[in-house]
Amino acid sequence: MGSHAHYREAHPLVFVITHWINLICMVMLAFSGFYIHFPFFSAGFMGVARGMHFVAMYVILINLVFRIVAAFFVKTANQLETREVDTDIKNWLPQAENKHQLVETLKYYLFFRKEGVISGKYGSLQKIAYLATVPLTFIQAYTGFAIYAPFADASFLAAGTTLVGGPMNMRIIHYFGMWVFILFTMVHAYLANIYNFAPSKIIFLWKETLPEGKH
Amino acid sequence: MAHEGHNALHDLLAVRGVTRRDFLKYCGSIAAALGLSETMAPQIAAALEGAPKLLPTLWLNGGSCSGCTESIAQVDSPDVATIVLDYLSTNYFETIMAAAGEQAEKQLSDTIAAGGYLVIYEGSVMTGQDGNTLLVAGKKGTEILSEAAAGAAAVIAVGSCAVDGGWVYGYPNPAEATGVQAWLNHEGITTPVVNLPSCPVNPEWIVAMVVQLLLVAGGDVATFVEKTEWLTRSYTDRKYGAVDLLMPKGIFGQSIHDNCPRRGHFENGEFVTEFGSKEEAMGYCLYKMGCKGPQTFTNCPIVRWNRRTSWCVEAGSPCIGCGGLNWVDNNAPFFHRLSDMQMGDALGNVQPGTVGAVVGGVAAAALVAHGLGMKAAGRVGDGPPMEEMKAYDRKRLAKKGGDK
Amino acid sequence: MTRAVIDPVTRIEGHLRVECEVTDGVVKDAWVSGQLYRGMETVMLDRQPEDAFYVTQRICGVCPISHSHASSMSTEAALGIAIPNNARLIRNLLEAAQFLHSHILWFYTLAALDYVSPINALSADIADTYALAQAAGTRVADFGAIAKRLTAFAENGQLSFLGGHYWDHPGYVLPPELDLIATAHYLEALEMQAVANEIVAVIGGKFPHPMTSVPGGTAFVPTEQKLDDILFNFIRVKEFIDTALIPDTLAIAPFILETTTYGGGCGNFLSWGVFEAADMDAYNRFLPRGFVTGGLKVEEVGPDDVTEYVEHSWYDSASGLNPSKGETHVKFDEYNTDAKYTYGKSARCKEKPAEVGPLARMVNAYVYEAGGKSLVPDEWAGSVRTPKALIDLTLEALGVAGKPEILVSLLGRVAARNLEAAYVADLALMWVGELVGGIQGGDSEFFKARETFDGAGSGLWEAPRGSVGHWIDIKGNKIKGYQVVAPTTWDIAPRDAAGVLGPMEQALVGAPVFDVERPLEMLRIAHSFDP
Repeated sequence: MGSHAHYREAHPLVFVITHWINLICMVMLAFSGFYIHFPFFSAGFMGVARGMHFVAMYVILINLVFRIVAAFFVKTANQLETREVDTDIKNWLPQAENKHQLVETLKYYLFFRKEGVISGKYGSLQKIAYLATVPLTFIQAYTGFAIYAPFADASFLAAGTTLVGGPMNMRIIHYFGMWVFILFTMVHAYLANIYNFAPSKIIFLWKETLPEGKH
Repeated sequence: MAHEGHNALHDLLAVRGVTRRDFLKYCGSIAAALGLSETMAPQIAAALEGAPKLLPTLWLNGGSCSGCTESIAQVDSPDVATIVLDYLSTNYFETIMAAAGEQAEKQLSDTIAAGGYLVIYEGSVMTGQDGNTLLVAGKKGTEILSEAAAGAAAVIAVGSCAVDGGWVYGYPNPAEATGVQAWLNHEGITTPVVNLPSCPVNPEWIVAMVVQLLLVAGGDVATFVEKTEWLTRSYTDRKYGAVDLLMPKGIFGQSIHDNCPRRGHFENGEFVTEFGSKEEAMGYCLYKMGCKGPQTFTNCPIVRWNRRTSWCVEAGSPCIGCGGLNWVDNNAPFFHRLSDMQMGDALGNVQPGTVGAVVGGVAAAALVAHGLGMKAAGRVGDGPPMEEMKAYDRKRLAKKGGDK
Repeated sequence: MTRAVIDPVTRIEGHLRVECEVTDGVVKDAWVSGQLYRGMETVMLDRQPEDAFYVTQRICGVCPISHSHASSMSTEAALGIAIPNNARLIRNLLEAAQFLHSHILWFYTLAALDYVSPINALSADIADTYALAQAAGTRVADFGAIAKRLTAFAENGQLSFLGGHYWDHPGYVLPPELDLIATAHYLEALEMQAVANEIVAVIGGKFPHPMTSVPGGTAFVPTEQKLDDILFNFIRVKEFIDTALIPDTLAIAPFILETTTYGGGCGNFLSWGVFEAADMDAYNRFLPRGFVTGGLKVEEVGPDDVTEYVEHSWYDSASGLNPSKGETHVKFDEYNTDAKYTYGKSARCKEKPAEVGPLARMVNAYVYEAGGKSLVPDEWAGSVRTPKALIDLTLEALGVAGKPEILVSLLGRVAARNLEAAYVADLALMWVGELVGGIQGGDSEFFKARETFDGAGSGLWEAPRGSVGHWIDIKGNKIKGYQVVAPTTWDIAPRDAAGVLGPMEQALVGAPVFDVERPLEMLRIAHSFDP
């Protein structure tokens, strides 16, 4: 890591764009969501907030589906610091390098070991966290639609509302779902940037960081 | 037959001084309560006029405050509703009946023995203290319900208490209140139960159901169930498990929020932030005061209360969601957007927002601490020195080496 | 010696059993049993104070407003909030509407059938009925049409809710013409109690369980249209009281004068006071606070004077506690008149059983006025008939002028309720005037927000049926303790630790019972408390 190389092959332009879309939608969703939860200023914003919330959710859903499909077609770097590529989805799922490393990764982050751990394209914890955002997004979509009046009566949604004990509980789950995303984003942003900002440069600006001495 | 019925109703109405015009107007309001177009009024009138004779009815009070009885006493003038209700022969109705004591109990047992009656049940089913928390004439309230419901054509559970135990079910009351459907499931009694939650019940809903059952469906329960549009709401009772509740869709199909006259102010972000304020005088939205309209499904804003005089939100109070299930636990604190979560003795009732903020705060603090640790460990910048080989592989190799 | 039992006592709110030991046609001993336990106090624990206002009023579907006011007052006392004058007037109006609703409903719908026989009314002569109505000064209806309606009803063979009663009991002594008048008003009362509740709906959103008297004031901000509706409906109700309720009472009373000779009870009269005056002093409320215990002696009384005993009640918690330290651990064993026989606790005031309700309030008001103080501000004195004036007029009409003690009886309890309705109706019109005047004068304050989140306090108030008290203990904006002493708790109290009978029990003792199979007199006494 550290001053290691970050090549464009790790994040092809299409995924830089999907990442941007995710970020913008997430910010819009959290902001409008908090506003809908409790309107903290009065400026005729509720209609806008609701519109924003719905649009951002549709966009993020479409984006997610596109991202999943693209993972089966687009090739990305299969390891850190390499231009060697493989089908993207393979680099998401556990790779040989990830095997037996989950506990070691935890130990590393909890300062129980000094050396960094060998990983595939992403570390074990990282993969779990990233992959978890997929079902979490669908849960947010599901709980959101379940408390959205025009859809709430659909039997697929109504059954879930019954299961959790009514619309109020559904609302609370939706609310906590947002907190999970906030926590994810905090940890994600922190760990991505704790060593240096090279990861941000590549994912936001698509600017490569070359290995030392190779300018 | 219809002709006979027509005469009977015509005489009854004439005797009570009700004009044909009043009668049609009334049928229109029933149509609205049933979620039908008001143009259905003539059909309803025709059905009413072809009605058979009085259906015997038992109005049973369980663990009630008599509020639902009070509520039905508020039905409209000129009393046409009462006339339709007079189509019921209310042989037992503790709060208004003339007879008392043994004579009253005889009215009850005679009606049950004759069969073919309707039960309207008000109040929660009291199962605490082995069913002794409600006694009537030396009998447990639960026994009376089971006995009456078993032989009834149908049961109408009126008010939240009868539907799911109401506030009496609220955590952590040891009274062990439950709803009619939960109790009948437990007893294996399959008589159909129509549920009309809300605290109290809106009287027009009862009238609508009675009209539907008695007149539109000719008193036949199977037809009644078939001809009415239902929705099923389910909940889990602490004592009796999962319960499915049959509710009329015309009444409980839409949220209060969607029909609220203050909805425009919601969309415009115009909110009341303090009671009795000038925002309230302007009729702004009570969302920020904790209004539970968005997750409460009744037609209160349309039918309103006390002869369509007003309703909670119009008077200036946020909806407290009394038309929902387990309404106290699911809606309190009433002035907050989300309900408290019951977290047991140690933590008590906690707001989800508090949990979110605490978890978020703890996480942020942990990350800062972690970042300082990373810095102290010298990992920032170039990152840590990397291992040459996985710890797992190292151990395995060492073991192999030992074996040699 | 026979046991006469009424179970259930119908035409009341709740579930009640009355058992009496009758010897030679007279009640020698009595047991009154509350047959329902629901448990409100625990539901309130760890919730926010305002939640108590919304939930605790659901104890009673007939008097939710009084419970809601007592609850809000307890929170206001705990958190040190003084409500604005507009809120005081609006709460008084809301409470007044409930009193009028309740008293009308009680007299006609709940109690009248103990005295009035709609069956006997069938044989009334229509012309005589008009003559009698005119003579009694009571309002005239289309008596011919009503007689026809009744006949049709009786002839269809299904007596519905009138079936099975003791209609042939010799206690039904009214002439058929008076029965017909009262039955006509019975039907009209159904309409009028609903009109009174339209006032509740305007102010509180709905009845039962109105929504707006939140701790701190009121959530209801009146508009001109709404004030008009309130005033119009109060005038309608007042007219009914003056032209039906009061004259009917006076017309029926002479036929049942023997009911002045029994049913008096314990003779201790508690009122927490109701209808707040501008000075917000409970002893100067329009129906003032006080505890009258013998003759015309009145004592001061407060929340600390209450104790609750459970020796004869189905609880295993400690006995003799003040509600601020109250416990409620229910434990049913069996119904046994020699041991435990009720879910009602035995509430005592200064260690004495205390009757509460309209008679207790009117006695306290009478003593207040007899002491030379005036209940109504001078500028309104001409338009409000005060309790003493109403009582004196009634005694005169019955030919017993100067003998107010005759009111400590069954008939007195019935009359006191109806006279109180007349007083409250007059007051209501006055408050509408004051409210309109205040708003026109620029007063736009309806609510005061709280500044603290900790404290303990009590709200002592009156429901139509009697004294209601709520005790609250708040820490960190959460309820840590909640207790309610409802009106019925006082009146249907069982024996206490010393074996002293409760107020209704004492009222029953000494009453004649003509027929133990059909104990009409017991039913009348039980109903007179509006339990």
